[in-house]
Amino acid sequence: MKPQSRKLAIAALAGGVSIAAVAVLRGKAGRRRTASLRVERGLTALRLVARGGARYASNAPRLFAAAGEHRQQLRNDLALQTAEDVAATLGTMKGVLMKLGQMASYIDDGLTPAARRTLSRLQDSVPPMSPELAAQVVTEELGLPPEQAFATWDPEPIAAASIGQVHRAITLDGRAVAVKVQYPGIAETIEADLGNVALLRRMLKISAPSQDVDGLLAELRERITEELDYRAEARNQQLFARYYQGHPTIHVPEIIEELSTRRLVTSDLADGARFAELATWSQAERDLAGETIYRFVFRSLYEMHAFNGDPHPGNYLFRGGGRVTFLDFGLVKHFTDDELRPLVEMVKHLCVENDPEGFRRAMVEAGFLMPDTPMPTDMIVEHMALFYDTVRERGPRTMTGEYAAAVTRRFFDFRSPLAAYAAIPRSYVILQRINLGLFALLGELSATADWRCIAEEIWPFVQAPPCTPMGAAEATWRAARRDFGEARRAVR
Amino acid sequence: MTEPKGQAEAVTGLVERSAAAYVSAVPGHPQDDGFFGPASVTWRISGDLSAPVAGLRSLLMQALHPLAMAGVDQHSDWRRDPVGRLAATSAYEATVTYGDRASATRVAQRVRAIHTRVRGVDTVTGQPYTATDPALLLWVHAALVDSALAASTLFGTPLAGPDADAYVGEMRIAAELLGVPPEIIPATVAGLERYIADVRPVLRCTPAAAESMGYLLDPAGLDDDIAELWQDIRDAAIAALPGWARQEYGYPAPAPVTPERRTEVRQALGVLDAVFLAEPGVLEARQRLVLRTRSAAKETSG
Repeated sequence: MKPQSRKLAIAALAGGVSIAAVAVLRGKAGRRRTASLRVERGLTALRLVARGGARYASNAPRLFAAAGEHRQQLRNDLALQTAEDVAATLGTMKGVLMKLGQMASYIDDGLTPAARRTLSRLQDSVPPMSPELAAQVVTEELGLPPEQAFATWDPEPIAAASIGQVHRAITLDGRAVAVKVQYPGIAETIEADLGNVALLRRMLKISAPSQDVDGLLAELRERITEELDYRAEARNQQLFARYYQGHPTIHVPEIIEELSTRRLVTSDLADGARFAELATWSQAERDLAGETIYRFVFRSLYEMHAFNGDPHPGNYLFRGGGRVTFLDFGLVKHFTDDELRPLVEMVKHLCVENDPEGFRRAMVEAGFLMPDTPMPTDMIVEHMALFYDTVRERGPRTMTGEYAAAVTRRFFDFRSPLAAYAAIPRSYVILQRINLGLFALLGELSATADWRCIAEEIWPFVQAPPCTPMGAAEATWRAARRDFGEARRAVR
Repeated sequence: MTEPKGQAEAVTGLVERSAAAYVSAVPGHPQDDGFFGPASVTWRISGDLSAPVAGLRSLLMQALHPLAMAGVDQHSDWRRDPVGRLAATSAYEATVTYGDRASATRVAQRVRAIHTRVRGVDTVTGQPYTATDPALLLWVHAALVDSALAASTLFGTPLAGPDADAYVGEMRIAAELLGVPPEIIPATVAGLERYIADVRPVLRCTPAAAESMGYLLDPAGLDDDIAELWQDIRDAAIAALPGWARQEYGYPAPAPVTPERRTEVRQALGVLDAVFLAEPGVLEARQRLVLRTRSAAKETSG
C-alpha cells in the first residue's frame, strides 16, 4: 500500500517573521479520519491533570494564604527533606507529567493558554527542598558546603525552578548571584520514567506503532532529557549573555562557570517585575516590553541561529522602559544554515517578493510540503497566510488573545485538505512551541507595534534602518560592537 | 459502548468521587489522633502508592466468601451506582484510618446499623446470612489487611517484618469497631495467614462474585485513558492474589512480577495518583497528613 497520511498533532509554524507549515505524520490511507479524531481526543490524561491543575494551583496558595504569617513556617514544614521525599513527590511519572505539561503546546491545542500556564505552574506547588537538602546538593556538586563555597549563602530559596529551586548568594569575590539547585535524584527518576515509552504513548494518546510517532516521542524525550543536565543550560545562557552584552533593552545574566555543574547553575542575580505585575503597568510600557521580547526572539533566530525555546511568562523580569531580563535557557534549539535557509526563503517570497510559487518551493525544500501536493498554490498561500498576518503589511497592529487562539487553531487544523500533504521535519518541531507561546504572550500584553517594520530591521534580506526608538538604540549598540562579526561566528 | 459524553462522566465520577471521599475523611481540626495516628504503620501503608492495587485485590478476596458476596449482591445498589458504592467504601475506610475517634466511631456505628438490616439467604449455598455475623466481618477485615500487605510488598514500599506484624496488630481495632470480638481477630502476620488458610474451604467464586468482579475489572464506560491505566492496576491486583484465588475466578496465571514490570505498574499508579492529586482538596488533605506525620516524628525523636 502506498504510504499516505496519518495525522498526528503536529505542525511547525513560526510566526510573523519566519515560517509556518501544517504538518502531518504519515501512516495508512484509510485511517486518516480515525487517526485525527484520535488525536483530538488525545492527551486526556494530561487534560485531566491540567483541569485539576487549575484547581491544584489555585487551591495551594489558599492553604498558604490561610496560614498568614506562618506561611514561611508552613513551607518549611512541608519541605522535601530527603532524596526519598523527592522521589515520592516527583517520581513515578509525576516529574515527567509536569515536563510534558510544560510542553503541551508541542502536541495538542486542547489546552487553553490559561490551562497550559496552570500546568506549568504545577511545579510551583512542589514544596521546596529543606535548607539542609539544598546544602547537601551544593556540597556534592562543589565539594564544599555552601557557607564555604560562597561568601554568603541564603538558605531560603527565592524561587521555584522547573526541577529545582533558586537561592541567592554572594560569591567569594563579591558577586551577587542566583544559584539554581536541582532536586537530588530527579534527573535519574525522570530519565527512568522516560524509558516507559508505552505509557508515554498512552498519555499522549498515540496508539498505532509508527516511525513518525516514535520520532515525535524521541524529540520530546530528548528535549526533556536535555533539561536534566544544567551544564547544557549554562552553556546556552552564556552564549546569549555574551551575544547581548551591552544591549539597550535585552539583558541575559552572565553565568559563573566555575560554580555551575550538572545540578547547579550560578548566574548574576537579576531583579525586576514579574509578568503579572507588568500586566498592571501602562499600555506604553507593555508595548515596549512586547517589542523587546519580539526583537529578542527574532534577532536570536536570524543572527545567533538559536531559539530560546520557552516563552513562559515566568522566564522574564521587567525593569521599565522596555528593559527585559531573560531567564531560563533550559530549552534552546540551534539551527544550522541549511535548516534556517528555507525558513528565510519562505518569509522572503511571501512577505517581501510576493512570489507564491517561490514560497511553495521553499516549503517543499524545508520538507513542510510534499513535492507532489495536488493543491493549487493560492490555496496553500491562503492557508498559511494567517501565520504571517502581523508582518505582511506595514502599520501598527495589536496582538490579541483572539489572534493567538486563531493561529493555534489553524496550526492544529487537521481537517484542512492540505494537512494530508504537509509534514514536520523534526528539527523544526521546537519552533512551534516558541511561536505559539510568543503570540499568546504578546496577545496577553495586547502589545501594539508596527511588527512589519521591526521585522524589516531584522530580516537579513532587508536590513531596513531603525523604525522605532528602540530600533535606533539597538542600531547604535550593533555599530559599537566592533567584534560583532566575530562574535556572531563564535556563537554558531 | 457508550457515547463519549457518558464516558467522560464515568471517569470524572470515579476520580472525583473517590477524591471527594478522601478529602472529606481527612480532618482539618481533629480532636485527637484517632485509632491509629501519624506514627502508625497503618497511616504509612494507607498512603502507599500501591493502595489502589490493595483496594482492588481486597474486593476480589472479599467477594470469594459466598455469604459476604450475597449480602452485597442482595442489599447494595452497586449495579445502579457502582462508582458511588466504591466511593462510599473508600470514604468509610479513610474516616476510620484518618478521622478522630469520634468520627471513626460514628461512621462505624452507622455501618453497624445498616448491617442489622442486611440479612437473607444465599441462593448458591442455601445458607442464611446476616451482616452482623462476626465470621463474615472478620473475613472482610482480613482480606483488606492481607491485601495491603501483598500489594505493598509487590508494588509499593514493602514493610519490614516487625512493621507488618505491627500493622496487623494495629488494624484489629477496625474490626472491633464493626463488632468483631477482639479474641478472634488475628494479631500477627502468621496469625492472619493461619486464619485465611482456615477459611479457604468455604471460599468460592459464585455467579454474583463473577458478575460484580467482572464489572470491577473492566468497568463499562471508562474513558480510554483511565481504562488503560485501570488495566495495569487490575493486572497488578490479579498478580497480587494468591494462586488459589486466581484459580477460583479462572484467571490465567499472570506474567511474573519482574523488576521491570513492577516499575511499569508503579509508573501507571503514579499517573493515576497525579490525576487524583489534581482534584480539589486532595493536595491539602495530603499536606495535612504530612504535617501531622512530621510533627509526630519530631516528638518521637525529640
